[in-house]
Amino acid sequence: MALGEDLLSLLGPARVKLHPLELKIYDKDAGINRGPVLAVALPESTEEVVACLKAARRHGVPVVPRGAGTGLAGGAVPSEPALVLALTKMDRIWEVDVASRTAWVGAGVINLELTRHTQEAGLHFAPDPSSQAVCTVGGNVATNAGGPHCLAEGTTVTHVLGVELVTAEGEVLVLGGAAPDPIGLDLRAVVVGSEGTFGVVTKALVKLTQDAPAVATILTAYDDMAGAAETVSKIIAAGVVPAALEIMDGPMVRAVENFVHADLPVEAAAVLLAEVTGHPAAVAAEASLLSDIARSAGATSVRTAADEAERELLWKARKSAFGAVAQTAPDYYLHDTVVPRTELVAVMTKLYEIANRHRIAMLNVFHAGDGNLHPLVAFDAKKPGELERVQAAAEEMVQISLEAGGSLSGEHGIGLEKRDFMSRVFTAVDLDGQARLRDAFDPDGVFNPGKVLPAGSRCFDFGMQLDRGAA
Amino acid sequence: MTLFDSEPFASIRVDDVSSFPDVECVIAPTSAAIAATACRAASEAGARIRFWGGGTHQGYGYPTATDLILSTERLQSIVTWSPDDLTVVVEAGVSVARLEDELATRGQTAVLPEQPGAATVGGVVAAGQSGWRRARYGPTRDRILETTVVTGDGRVVRSGARVVKNVTGYDIPRLMTGSFGSLGLITSICLKLWPIGAAQATVSVDDPAEAAERSYRPLAVVESEGRSTMYLAGTQDEVTGQAAEVGGDPLPGLDWPAPLGEEWRFTVQVPPAHTRHAVSRVRAIPGTRFRAAHGVGHVAIGADSPDLAAVVDLRSWAESLGGALIVAASPPSQHEIDPWGTPPQGLSLQRSVKAAFDPAGIANPGLLPGRL
Repeated sequence: MALGEDLLSLLGPARVKLHPLELKIYDKDAGINRGPVLAVALPESTEEVVACLKAARRHGVPVVPRGAGTGLAGGAVPSEPALVLALTKMDRIWEVDVASRTAWVGAGVINLELTRHTQEAGLHFAPDPSSQAVCTVGGNVATNAGGPHCLAEGTTVTHVLGVELVTAEGEVLVLGGAAPDPIGLDLRAVVVGSEGTFGVVTKALVKLTQDAPAVATILTAYDDMAGAAETVSKIIAAGVVPAALEIMDGPMVRAVENFVHADLPVEAAAVLLAEVTGHPAAVAAEASLLSDIARSAGATSVRTAADEAERELLWKARKSAFGAVAQTAPDYYLHDTVVPRTELVAVMTKLYEIANRHRIAMLNVFHAGDGNLHPLVAFDAKKPGELERVQAAAEEMVQISLEAGGSLSGEHGIGLEKRDFMSRVFTAVDLDGQARLRDAFDPDGVFNPGKVLPAGSRCFDFGMQLDRGAA
Repeated sequence: MTLFDSEPFASIRVDDVSSFPDVECVIAPTSAAIAATACRAASEAGARIRFWGGGTHQGYGYPTATDLILSTERLQSIVTWSPDDLTVVVEAGVSVARLEDELATRGQTAVLPEQPGAATVGGVVAAGQSGWRRARYGPTRDRILETTVVTGDGRVVRSGARVVKNVTGYDIPRLMTGSFGSLGLITSICLKLWPIGAAQATVSVDDPAEAAERSYRPLAVVESEGRSTMYLAGTQDEVTGQAAEVGGDPLPGLDWPAPLGEEWRFTVQVPPAHTRHAVSRVRAIPGTRFRAAHGVGHVAIGADSPDLAAVVDLRSWAESLGGALIVAASPPSQHEIDPWGTPPQGLSLQRSVKAAFDPAGIANPGLLPGRL
């Protein structure tokens, strides 16, 4: 294989994977899709990325950038035979500027490692997806990743000031910078979240966030989901934006408790994990207000973490949710829609109705404060008819969120998995606008083809459609 | 008869054009669809459009040849305000002052510039302007959830969503922020809102750089010629406590410094820790006034007859730190100083992106760095 030989001569045998068994490790992410991998290259420098890209282009092979493979939407899964560029070895923290609270880091730096690295300076990297112990900053940039603490802090794009991008031509560009409002079009902002379709991000200039001087973590329990959802809506409506507002429903609480043993209220129908951070005076006031709102919405118990150990245990419970489910069911399907916070109660009620009607096992753990829902359907694809029921329910669940004024994905991305839902959210003209932007970065379709936009997005002939009145 | 005496332009022409610079025609569409028809006709005819909101940011960028002004003065609706969801959808021509007044009735803010003058929401977003409170809440671009844009060639492209967290498709709303009309006209915007806070206070500080570094997320720390001030918001106890920590005596309310009104205005943008160095360099240029946002790296400068050689030196220093010095306003027909300085990397990519939205090159052509 000519591409393989080229890669071997560039990186040597230790950093090129060609054997089918090795390739299998890279043909999927943490979601349900698999795709064809021709070769895997593990570059250690930007120059090596450029060289691999040029080799792939010589052989007419598309390139799929990949981090730790913790994505859930198939963003790192090739949709056609491709070279996978795994950036995990680009794991150097190049520079930390404590005074300006920024850092230049390699795409392969692990999210939590960055926070550990800057801990002594009282700083952290705010995006904290559940996979933060293994996922990479490059992957966070690709998906514009979120996490529980994005409620107050914003998703990854808020924390990325610049990127080093290898373009389709093999040019290395630094977009953005540490100074505010870089001049010219803000290309950095569209590269973040572009799911590897605009180029290869080899480094990121990230913003570091001051650690809060005070924090309170509160777990409240309810006899029904509506009480938990109502608490969230009322907190936001009361003009308080906590650091995090996370809901787990009863089935999820029980799955997690079996797994983590955090003394969670297993008899509850729903629990709300809330965290307020900030100045000590503000934390005290907001924690008290939050507890009052919870009680008035019917909370049966209110537990405040007594110390850092208890706080960490509660967060461990929250972030172990998907691992806990993986223990109980062979397969799971996870949604990521977002709805207005005012619609939480109504949408949750409809989700349970759909799950019951299709006789599927649904567990819920989600970023309630953002309105970011994660209904998780546990199933066994080997059982006849089960996958079909799950897919039918999945489609209804998406539709319910969209009808409530919501969006398809809050933090996981579109990838392969939600690509064909895009035309439910956007018109043909909207999608064509996005496709033209992509073409501006990657006119030959080298990077991660088949992702994000449904097939035919660019085929839209504006003049003809307009004349037919279809625009 | 000229192009603009016929449709689609004739029926949306503005009669009183006294507040606009001299161009052949000023139009004010009443909807995105009508603006799209006009942009399409202008693209076909090669008529160059300048987009116009409140006129407060028209001093930026290279001078451009303009055949037609498209004003947002008839896009005046606050479309949907969802106070319990902390989001609002507004048409581009709504003034910042009107929107913030309205939001304040429910204790909310869009965190737009605090002294907007006649600026419109669309204009502030197109010019990528942020207020002082960005020190705490981040720049305006972090609150642009959804935009509806009429591209240079007259397509109506909506992107983003009306929810606070979203990764559905490419982030065109952020790309539009600070694009200065070079991609097309923003017709409506969904903004994320923040609660204002029960208490607000203004505190004098001795060392603004230190105050910005030591305090936990003050609203802003602003230094000007005569005074340095920290701005606080939150619960009463929080505000009192934070003021005590910097040894200041809080006055209720937010007493922002008066805006700069000089004929020349510049902005120095440097990594945040260099704000204090920028201030000492600005102080050394005679006849300047300034407003420095500590913790942000943003210094606004005003001067009536500045020593431009000294300004260019200041620019070289800012650019050596990866920053910029840009001209925000200047006397008419001056060409002594480049408005942007050294263009960013990737100009050919910037050109491709502009062409993806404005293939005929009629939307504020040549205004951006690299004369895009």
